[in-house]
Amino acid sequence: MEYFTISLFNGVVYGLLLFMVSAGLTLIFGMMGVLNFAHASFYMVGAYLAYSLQKIFGFWPAIVLAALLVGILGMVVEAFFLRRVHRYGHAHELLLTFGLAFIIAELVKLFYGNYPLNYRVPDALNFAAFQVFGTDYPVYRLLMGGISIGMFILIYLLLTRTRVGIVVRSAIYRPRMAEALGHNVPLVFMGVFGVGAALAGLAGAVAGAFYTTNPNMALELGVIVFVVVVVGGLGSLEGAMLASLLIGLISSFAVGIDLSLIDFFGLFGAREWAESVGGVLALKISSLSATIPFALMLLILLVRPSGLMGEKS
Amino acid sequence: MYPSKKLFACLLVLCGVFFATASFGASLKVAIVESLSGPQASTGLLYRTATQYGLDLVNEKGGWNGQPIELLEYDNQGGVTGASEKVKAAIADGAQIIVQGASSAVGGQVTEDVRKHNLRNPGKEVIYMNVGAEAMELTGAKAHFHQFRFSPNAEIRVKALIAAMKEADVLGSRVYAMNQNYSWGMDVEKAVVENADDGGYKVVEKTLHDTNKIQDFSPYVAKIKAADVDTVITGNWSNDLLLLMKAAQSAGLDVRFGTAFLDQPGNIANAGETALGHYVAHPFNMEAAGKAGEEFGKEYKAKTGHYPTYVEPQTVFAMNMLGEALKNVKAEGDSLKVNDLVVAMEKVKYKSPMGEMSMRSEDHQVLLPVAVSVVSKDAKFKVDGTDMGFKPVKVLSAEEAAAPVQEATNIKRPK
Amino acid sequence: MKVSRLVLYVAVAVAILVVLPAFLSHSLVNAVNQMLIAALFACAFNILCGQGGMLSFGHSAYFAIGSFATLHAMGVMSSESLLPTPLLPLAGALVGLMVGLVAGWFSTQRTGVYFSMITLALAELLHTIAPHLRGLFGGEAGISSMRMPALGITFGSDIHVYYLTLAWVVAAVGAMYFLTFTPLGRLIFALRENTHRLRFLGYNVHNLGTITFALSAMFSGIAGGLQAITIETSNYSAFEMHLSAEVLLNAYIGGVQVFFGPLIGAGVMTFFGNAVSDMTRNWLLYKGIIFVLVMMFMPTGIAGLLKLLGESFRKYSLPLLVPALLLSVVSTILLTMGTVFTVEMMQRGLSQDYQMLARAAGSAGPPPILLFGREWFPGSLITWLLSLGLLVGGGFFVWFSRSRWKMLKETDEDESVLLPKLGDGSGKAGLNKRENV
Repeated sequence: MEYFTISLFNGVVYGLLLFMVSAGLTLIFGMMGVLNFAHASFYMVGAYLAYSLQKIFGFWPAIVLAALLVGILGMVVEAFFLRRVHRYGHAHELLLTFGLAFIIAELVKLFYGNYPLNYRVPDALNFAAFQVFGTDYPVYRLLMGGISIGMFILIYLLLTRTRVGIVVRSAIYRPRMAEALGHNVPLVFMGVFGVGAALAGLAGAVAGAFYTTNPNMALELGVIVFVVVVVGGLGSLEGAMLASLLIGLISSFAVGIDLSLIDFFGLFGAREWAESVGGVLALKISSLSATIPFALMLLILLVRPSGLMGEKS
Repeated sequence: MYPSKKLFACLLVLCGVFFATASFGASLKVAIVESLSGPQASTGLLYRTATQYGLDLVNEKGGWNGQPIELLEYDNQGGVTGASEKVKAAIADGAQIIVQGASSAVGGQVTEDVRKHNLRNPGKEVIYMNVGAEAMELTGAKAHFHQFRFSPNAEIRVKALIAAMKEADVLGSRVYAMNQNYSWGMDVEKAVVENADDGGYKVVEKTLHDTNKIQDFSPYVAKIKAADVDTVITGNWSNDLLLLMKAAQSAGLDVRFGTAFLDQPGNIANAGETALGHYVAHPFNMEAAGKAGEEFGKEYKAKTGHYPTYVEPQTVFAMNMLGEALKNVKAEGDSLKVNDLVVAMEKVKYKSPMGEMSMRSEDHQVLLPVAVSVVSKDAKFKVDGTDMGFKPVKVLSAEEAAAPVQEATNIKRPK
Repeated sequence: MKVSRLVLYVAVAVAILVVLPAFLSHSLVNAVNQMLIAALFACAFNILCGQGGMLSFGHSAYFAIGSFATLHAMGVMSSESLLPTPLLPLAGALVGLMVGLVAGWFSTQRTGVYFSMITLALAELLHTIAPHLRGLFGGEAGISSMRMPALGITFGSDIHVYYLTLAWVVAAVGAMYFLTFTPLGRLIFALRENTHRLRFLGYNVHNLGTITFALSAMFSGIAGGLQAITIETSNYSAFEMHLSAEVLLNAYIGGVQVFFGPLIGAGVMTFFGNAVSDMTRNWLLYKGIIFVLVMMFMPTGIAGLLKLLGESFRKYSLPLLVPALLLSVVSTILLTMGTVFTVEMMQRGLSQDYQMLARAAGSAGPPPILLFGREWFPGSLITWLLSLGLLVGGGFFVWFSRSRWKMLKETDEDESVLLPKLGDGSGKAGLNKRENV
């Protein structure tokens, strides 16, 4: 029970963090059909900017400013880079974001050096919110979760309840039709890209203080955000939320499960045979916690490619 | 575009090197094959700085054969493929010694490449100086006559950690082994288990987790919590170490960490107060090394801008040992006879600021003193611009720290 | 088509490659060896990507599998080799083909971005599982073996390996080129152009996709096998995502619309990495900049650029063309110099160690930075004026050369022929055809 409760808490908060990063990615994909490989780089830039700004403005203003700046960066990327390449096809857009990810990572190293920075949770926030079975639960984790949930609600309402949201959604489904109706679709694209980037930047600014801020941040997050987006359904915000939580929980629970396929075969009395085969069968689930998300993604793609919540196939 | 211009520059440099070397007699070239770019560059660049510094010291004392030793730099681009290619390039460019340290996987590749090259080109052997790849098998099953390891390994580090932590009475009786799931982590885990009797503790649980893939360590902290231990021994490095310690701290877990790589630059800055009270076993501690250590540190800083830390000291010591060995090797004809150098290296007794170092001839593993330190605000030298530093707890002499030769080791000596 | 001309070009290229080792140093021969392997890999990748219109994100998997298979055939830890050394890449080809059939069957269930994501998931699965399967992949240290003498050749020296690689690459690329003329090759093109029509005509599109995938994986496996023969080891890092990305980028930089494009792209970029990585630690930044520039301004890649040049030479008289070309070259050189100088200066000046030294120097002012054999003062205006001047000058020449090209085009009535037909060409290959779904 103790293990279950703690894992549940941990998994949910980690999932919520994943959502913060992937929300922007899924929006951008839904709208522009671009798999943005530079998205995790926005996350990293958010953390680095927040680190620099907090020295001047303090922690909270720095986080907001960092998110805004990353949003502007995103808009610049969309307007001056992606839009130019758009007519050459999706592959070019994708490779462009690849190149940008390279450039951003190297520039970060150029300006901030190769080592982790001393960007930390401010002391005022570094205390335990409550105790679960004798383990402190840091208030900052709750905060991260709270920000993520707030973000989700805000975007959801924005998309479903406001006029802007209607235009955005129509631009997602039928960009040409929306344009024909007189909406400025390029502006909408730029806006969505900016908001998506800003969300990633916000996630980076918040999480960078809790985890580590280092030049490999983007790489570490890497493909897992793509997994979230695909599992949830490309372009679906609710799906991204669901998938994030799912993956957060899986990676949290898998750690404690020391079972392997041998145990599974043991149920049918084939333990000895399985042990003699070894190899894949002997792998413990706990050592595979990084593998499971990819297996899940593969399964989803083969069984239900539109993802858990996606509408388009 | 770039290639043509760079190629031109490259050709010019090559010509320059050619003419520069053509006009003199026998000289020695040392090649460093490291990750100088990409995600692993931070460590690779430290090795480069330290190798350059160490060779400069040797050259100040006259180099070899009356000529300065030349350092060639190659970027292995972070992978084994690049390393293999660059080792070949280095040998083709006339390097007789290959220096490499970051990553045991790359180290395994380099040592194999060197071994194969030497098999195929008798009389034109090269040496691999391993200054930091710590996987046991490199001086075990993969050991050969032309490789040397100048860094400690898993067994040495764990043994030292446990001896010092036990003496300081902070080890406790319940220990958790938390390691990365690859050869280095497994070696550490094995060493923790093997040392249980000496340390008088019980290994309550051991975990191998994915390497550099985990963002959130709180599930692992939950496991540590559930195991109710006093000490966690971990070989984790870089982000895996930082995240683990931070997760433990934020969960309010009262355990002590015994680590191998806490002194990596940036770690203390990033971890902050979280790092206080945790232990590290490392080959050099400026405070522990006394006056000689301080002198070494200051000189190093004057040239490179920072105190020697992490993998740098062992690399500088390695170059000094090379310098000592070279004193006893005469030029024969036009070049250095590598096999003579290997024999000379086995006989070197070098006194580093930490104490005497030597090369064991059975497996070519260096025997070196190891310091165990605790992160503290009382430390004499602060690191990373914080008010904390590494306060020495105990220094083990080379003999005390040594681990036995592995059974798998079988170095075939040329006749 | 001017097949005879093409044969001539290829013959000349091969002849050059054959005599090359006589003129190059050992390390350069090794570099060319790597270029050949990368070129073969990119070409194999392009069967799927350029010709079949399926963008794979996980192609390093088949390369890696080929190299592991070849190593196992070479005999890991034992001296016994299953095949004589020159035939070893066959093992890579065979296993690549088989794995490709399975992976292809799964991946080609879907199209567009879903296809890409499946390939990515497969590669990542292998990447995360491989280090745990010590028997097959040897843990993180990988497996290693040794080339054995065969047919009276020792295969001990790099030159032997080079000729072995060359022979295999020429044969494999020849086979791939021949494939494009076979009915199957034509069907692969059709797969890219219009699957609906293909289905109407009675073809099984899924099977066809699987075969295409498997062929591509097979040739990738050969490339992996050659790599294994060259470096005699392999480890799980060969499954890494960034290798998949690299082959993709190489193919696009060369130009996926032309058969020989990826070959050129991979060769050039491999050489770039090889040469520049030893010179500057910022080479990844330059690489990133090149990617972005190529995607933005040279969407048809190097092959497209060469084509454009060829057409220009045919169309315009030299007196008109040469100034425009010269201006382009000058602008490129100036911008390159400006960028390189600025980046290198900044990297040195901003490095933590230099900052420490500068602080230690105190009132004496920051020490000079050694760059390109000269001392530069980061505090002095001249340093930064130079970098600014180079960049602005380059920018000016870009503008100048552009107007010159425009003038050229205006002299031409039929300008549409000359314009690189970008939207047209790659639009057809539009890999994530959203309109179609």
